[in-house]
Amino acid sequence: MKQDGVADILAMAFMFVLLILGAVLMHAYSLRPLRAATDRQLELKCEHIYEALETAWVEPYTVSFLRAAAENLALEHPTVPGPYLRSAVENALGYLSPPDYEISATLTFDGGTLTFNENMRPPSKQFVRSGAVSITRAGGENVVVQVVVRLFSFS
Amino acid sequence: MTLTQILKMLVACILVITFVLVTASAYRQHHTISALAKLTDAASAIVTRLAVDELAYVDETGDKYSYVLDPDKLENLTFKREVGGENFEFQVSLGYQGSENRTFGPAPPENKTNCSLIVACSLWLNDRLQLAKFGVIAWYA
Repeated sequence: MKQDGVADILAMAFMFVLLILGAVLMHAYSLRPLRAATDRQLELKCEHIYEALETAWVEPYTVSFLRAAAENLALEHPTVPGPYLRSAVENALGYLSPPDYEISATLTFDGGTLTFNENMRPPSKQFVRSGAVSITRAGGENVVVQVVVRLFSFS
Repeated sequence: MTLTQILKMLVACILVITFVLVTASAYRQHHTISALAKLTDAASAIVTRLAVDELAYVDETGDKYSYVLDPDKLENLTFKREVGGENFEFQVSLGYQGSENRTFGPAPPENKTNCSLIVACSLWLNDRLQLAKFGVIAWYA
């Protein structure tokens, strides 16, 4: 009789544990759509950062940030001098970067690489937008510089 | 009825009540999270629609430049949108380096949850393409 009582109480305790575990799982799972929507917003931010760098001009020149950087990689005499461009791009990336995030841009052409805001800390997440900039060299030769813009999250 | 039976009955009742409460709480949380996710996606949709189409700069030849905003178009903007069958209101902010943020549209109500999204863009201003930040605060209408 006593053994039956203990077995019943053990079964109820086990059901309680299952109930608590189920509740924790249900609550954790229900946050997934919000996390996914936030990630989609960060993808959108990364896309906008790329487009803004592709269209906005480097002050006081009339050439965009990405085109100026691509010229620095592919041309002998680029429109914007290298040291000035680095300062302007890093300043722009700092301005566009949301709090707790960092932006880095990498351009590659013919074995050469130009990186702005090289990230040293390991991020918890990163969002990537890649594209290309076409440059016409002296003599009419068209070359394509690959661009990768990354948005790093550290939260 | 012995004391053990009464205790067992009591524990069983507590178990059932806890189960009902947990299920109700999970349902409420799921409902709230779905509404927040929908609001977040609505803010993204509004930003995209404005940056790519409604506020995009159009030059003299009629070519439209997505992601390049024309600040003059903000004056005639309506601040209500329907996204996914739901109505949303929003406020817009625009700022560029060296300037203060300007806001357009109604202020977000204090008693409603809102979603804020700030993205990078270019601004056609003084015959130059300037780097800027474009923000939207959206809420359920």
